[in-house]
Amino acid sequence: MTITKGPGTEQAIRTWSGRSIPRKEDARLVKGQGSFVDDGGVQGQGFAWFVRSPHAHARIVSIDCAPALEMEGVYAVLTGEEARQQCETPFFAIAPPPGSLMAEWPLAVGKVRYQGDAVAVVLAESRETARDAAERVFVEYEPLPAVVDTVAAADPTTPLLYDDAGTNVVWRGVFDYGDVDWALENADHVVKIDRLHFHRFTSAPLECNGAVVDYDLGTGVVNVMSNYQMPMFASMVIGPTIGVPINKFNFVTKDIGGAFGIKIGFFAQIAALALLSKKAGRAVKWTEYRTEHMLTAGHGNERTFLDIEVPVMSDGTILGVKVRAFDDAGAYLHYEPLGAVIWSQVVPGCYKLKHVRVDYTEVVTNKCPTVPNRGYSRMQHLWMIERIIDIVAKELRLDPVDVRKTNYVQPEDYPYRTPNDCVYDSGDLPRSLDIALELAHAEEWRARQRELGTGSGRRIGIGIGSTLDSGTNNFGQSRIINPDLPFSGNGEAAIVKLDLFGEVNVNIGTTPQGQGHETTAAQVTADILGIAPDMVTVSTGFNQANNSYVGFSGTYASQFAVSGLGAVMGAAEKLRHQIVKLAAYALRAAEEEIDVSDGFARVRGDENRAIPFIGLANMVYANNAGLPAELLSEVDLNARYVYVPPFEVPDPVTKTGNLTLTYASQVHVCVVEVDEETGEVTLLEYAAVDDCGRRINPMIVEGQVHGATGLGIAAALYESLDYDASGQLQQPSFYEYHAATALDIPHVDCGSIESASPFTPNGAKGMGEGGGAPLHAVCSAIQDAVGGDGPVVADSHNHWARVHELLHRDPTASRGVAVTSREGPPRVAQS
Amino acid sequence: MLLEEVEYVRPTNLEDALAVLADVDGAAPLAGGQSLVNVLKNRVASVDLLVDISRLAELRTIKRTPGGGLDVGACVTYDELDRSPLVRESHFTLGEVAAHIEDQQIRNKGTIGGNCCLSDPTNNLPPILVALDAVMNLRSTSARRSVQAAEFFKGYFATALESGELLVSVTVPPMPARSGAGYASLLVAADAKAMARAAAWIQLGTGGLTITSARVALARVANVPVRDAGVEARLVGAEASDAAVRDACSVAAEGLRPIDDVHGSSHYRLEMARVMAHRAVMQAVDQATAGRNGSESARRGGRA
Amino acid sequence: MTERGASHAITVIVNGERVNRIVSARQLLVHFLRDVLGLTGTHIGCDTGNCGACTVVVDGKLVKSCMLLAPQADGSTIETVESLAADGQLSDLQRAFNEHHALQCGYCTPGMLMSATYLLRQNPDPSADDVRRAIRGNVCRCTGYVNIVEAIRSAVSAGSAGRAAAGAAEEA
Repeated sequence: MTITKGPGTEQAIRTWSGRSIPRKEDARLVKGQGSFVDDGGVQGQGFAWFVRSPHAHARIVSIDCAPALEMEGVYAVLTGEEARQQCETPFFAIAPPPGSLMAEWPLAVGKVRYQGDAVAVVLAESRETARDAAERVFVEYEPLPAVVDTVAAADPTTPLLYDDAGTNVVWRGVFDYGDVDWALENADHVVKIDRLHFHRFTSAPLECNGAVVDYDLGTGVVNVMSNYQMPMFASMVIGPTIGVPINKFNFVTKDIGGAFGIKIGFFAQIAALALLSKKAGRAVKWTEYRTEHMLTAGHGNERTFLDIEVPVMSDGTILGVKVRAFDDAGAYLHYEPLGAVIWSQVVPGCYKLKHVRVDYTEVVTNKCPTVPNRGYSRMQHLWMIERIIDIVAKELRLDPVDVRKTNYVQPEDYPYRTPNDCVYDSGDLPRSLDIALELAHAEEWRARQRELGTGSGRRIGIGIGSTLDSGTNNFGQSRIINPDLPFSGNGEAAIVKLDLFGEVNVNIGTTPQGQGHETTAAQVTADILGIAPDMVTVSTGFNQANNSYVGFSGTYASQFAVSGLGAVMGAAEKLRHQIVKLAAYALRAAEEEIDVSDGFARVRGDENRAIPFIGLANMVYANNAGLPAELLSEVDLNARYVYVPPFEVPDPVTKTGNLTLTYASQVHVCVVEVDEETGEVTLLEYAAVDDCGRRINPMIVEGQVHGATGLGIAAALYESLDYDASGQLQQPSFYEYHAATALDIPHVDCGSIESASPFTPNGAKGMGEGGGAPLHAVCSAIQDAVGGDGPVVADSHNHWARVHELLHRDPTASRGVAVTSREGPPRVAQS
Repeated sequence: MLLEEVEYVRPTNLEDALAVLADVDGAAPLAGGQSLVNVLKNRVASVDLLVDISRLAELRTIKRTPGGGLDVGACVTYDELDRSPLVRESHFTLGEVAAHIEDQQIRNKGTIGGNCCLSDPTNNLPPILVALDAVMNLRSTSARRSVQAAEFFKGYFATALESGELLVSVTVPPMPARSGAGYASLLVAADAKAMARAAAWIQLGTGGLTITSARVALARVANVPVRDAGVEARLVGAEASDAAVRDACSVAAEGLRPIDDVHGSSHYRLEMARVMAHRAVMQAVDQATAGRNGSESARRGGRA
Repeated sequence: MTERGASHAITVIVNGERVNRIVSARQLLVHFLRDVLGLTGTHIGCDTGNCGACTVVVDGKLVKSCMLLAPQADGSTIETVESLAADGQLSDLQRAFNEHHALQCGYCTPGMLMSATYLLRQNPDPSADDVRRAIRGNVCRCTGYVNIVEAIRSAVSAGSAGRAAAGAAEEA
């Protein structure tokens, strides 16, 4: 689609867009005047505390609430069974059977399925009393064997989480593009990698989840003040279950202290709180604490890749890949199995792989449910592809830079159609790589690495991570999972209005968590209306009663620069048209003669004929007698626009179609030093080159790159969520989960190029998730330090003990990789 | 974040504090609170009365002992240890260890007494105090006694403290000429928890580079810091060379079975104990040969 | 000796204002500041004293207010983020955070600003490494710390003039 531009607008555009103006939202945040969920509340509220299971898997034998209810200051206790009785249906299932039979209710019913599963919720007059009372809700459990191994979960002999489903497999599908069997037969070499494992971790937003829920018994309206990042999704899931129509939800968000996808996952808590509020007849405030967050708020997807086969030609051309993937959804399907298709937005990664077969299985286990986590589902796949590139280079004694450049989608290939019919819009990966290598002084470090040789006890490693940040989903891809789902396309809504005294107000249904929407929306609006961003008030944060929204509204999946700003630009254009029309009438001029600038509409070439915005607003709002009806029917100074990206419905049978509108890319290069004695890894240098098309505010874009890089490095070296055999989480708080600090994350040198997207209203691409590039780059650098004959870096998380093991491998153990070559003796025969 | 109901009292002098601790069952001293408050938040230990000793002037001083040692009050904070010229002058390593405990906020509140009395095996100060052969001075309403650091730590969250007894100060013996201390940790991240840790003190002979006396304390191989007699025996009489020290440390932690956890196996920890012992002793050698208390070499030693 | 009890009358000076309240012994200072005094700029990000979102200055010392009980603060002078722009003017550090895009979601920012303020009181000319050590106890999940370090260093070198020019990389 294109935005129709008014006369003179072309010139105005780019006045503010493209500039690193400091953010508008900072003024309140640096003063501690932000409005976060725990900062507020309502009259008469009680405080909620969830009673949670200490077991990973157990049958609930009995729940005794009486001792809690006897305590002074306790208002109510709601149990799982009681909640279920008030529900009309389990939460909406994305999956077809058998996944759809894995029913979830607001609280656990009959059995608990992971450590932290909520069995009841207590309401009391203070936070402290609520917690005290929760300890006096006595639950008798009959423990069941815990299912924690992802691959084993799929085995029919493994105990079941859901008896009704008859299997732990949520969804299975084969994604088969090109002819991988042909490629494997005809390749010069086939590189076989036994196993790669992408670990479980969380971006752990600093603010935990929370909500103030007030079920208004008089009106039937459920008021929800929360830091939920996808309120429409929550409303759609919760509404049918607790019997509340969408228009009786009043979902409101304010400042959100980070989310990264994790805050898509807590609809079950909100549903339980709504029922609790209804039962108690008063508002309910719930503030999640960190331990509860780590145990239950949601983790990123853990994925195991098995039996990877990679056909490669002697010149380093990689023909494709064949792999079995096992993804671990945890105990409940909070957004899954959407992840089972989301990865396929980036089937060939950054490369021209033609023949790809992924046999994908998603299972449930007795672990915390997974939810989208910055880089959702794509980064797992992209990490595997990057591991393949490095391992192929290593095994065939090729330069990893050459292998990348040989196989990258080239600048002249765009728009590039992938084997599954996704369209990569634009980019220049080889140049991005060159810039990153230079920023990281890769050549100098390569020389230093050679100089260091062996015997010093220290090793240098240089690593590369190329990645994609696909943005603006086509929700039609959900039909590849379940053809009956009523979703496709995407969109966002905005209202730009001229208010009574001439103020310009932008209203969007997005839920920013630090991405600077107030600033960038003001920038694009300012350009179109010919004013300064300071003169634009942007009301962000979802508000079901007041804001405009569509079913996809929210902030997720790297899309604001496209869908959010597309909506704002469209609405601003519409308002500009109205202003021009009104001014033409007021100034007795032709519409073509009107310029809009500096808060005035003027007749071009006649400085005496101008009217300020306040004058125009007055004509419509407060002084409209005598205005022609025809004008009033077209001009209300409230312009709503819905941006809808151009998508078709994908084909669920062939699993093909354009699944996302834009593909930002990032290439990272890092240099590590590894201590041979201990396995400790120190980052010596880090460079990231970003290409997200036209940047509306480069400083904000760079901030997103820094942030995604920080979290990626943290995950690669410091942050991991592990369960023991009985399903107990080993890192249930920040005491055990080492949230990386300023001493752990190095300075990041940033470079950028701007390959404008031909498909978006402003040439921008969504970005921010970052595609997990640091995981790719750090693993690549460790692999480089381990050296050519060493084992494969097979895990995305490499703590010191694991690196130590890579360096001091038992010589009789498998290296995890083998190469077979088609004719003559293999160039490098080893296993 | 939400504690169980608890009582609080803030005595104005040590005698009163000791009296309350003696009289009230379930009373616990509260110093910096940087561990105890976490324990209370977790509701894993039940305390009825918190006796706030953090402001008691008697417990907040660092004094020079006649022989050149230190007498450190139990409520001296890590930050005070770090910034104390007195500490840095004679016991540089002790200051350096304190400087790398977690973060500034924790260093401003956490105390040497709290770090010792909680006896959490991950705590930083116990192994260096054992290696320096510090003495823990305990008081109750009726008695005073002193316990060698090596005898003070009894187990996971357990010490030699009897009911009603309070650790009031820690005496660190002087560092003789040609002696030095070292401290090496394998950390999960910068200034974070250690997987393996060693502290060492060595004395070199008057001429040459022969080690005449040594104390090596290992942490994280057991629930308490362990003096490694085997390593010490091999060090005494050995040349203070890298090879000889490495050889001596190759038997470190023999017979011990460190825990397995997400950061590494028992076997890895054992191997790391040896690496850390070697590094700590070499730091101590550097310090001993550098003359003063080795401030420069300790600084070069990197991560404490 | 204060009376032994489960609740205590305390007097504190918060951001220059004297406050008398009865607090429960088990109330953490951070809950006292937020829930009793309504100073919601001080945040809670963890329950183990690791994240630093609740950082304030008590009697001139930087502390985590979730690691102190409210009665422990009796008689103390407390500074929170709300004190930094008390006269309505942003402090040099607050301005630098804005100019260098040193905050995204803004949740860690109050604690981060308190740590940076404390650092500059102690050490008017910190190196990049000093800055990183000074904010070791403040977790930020959004920025990778890059712009925070730059902002703090720019506030050092700038004073009030020439701040805009101080955009150089921290290693420079």
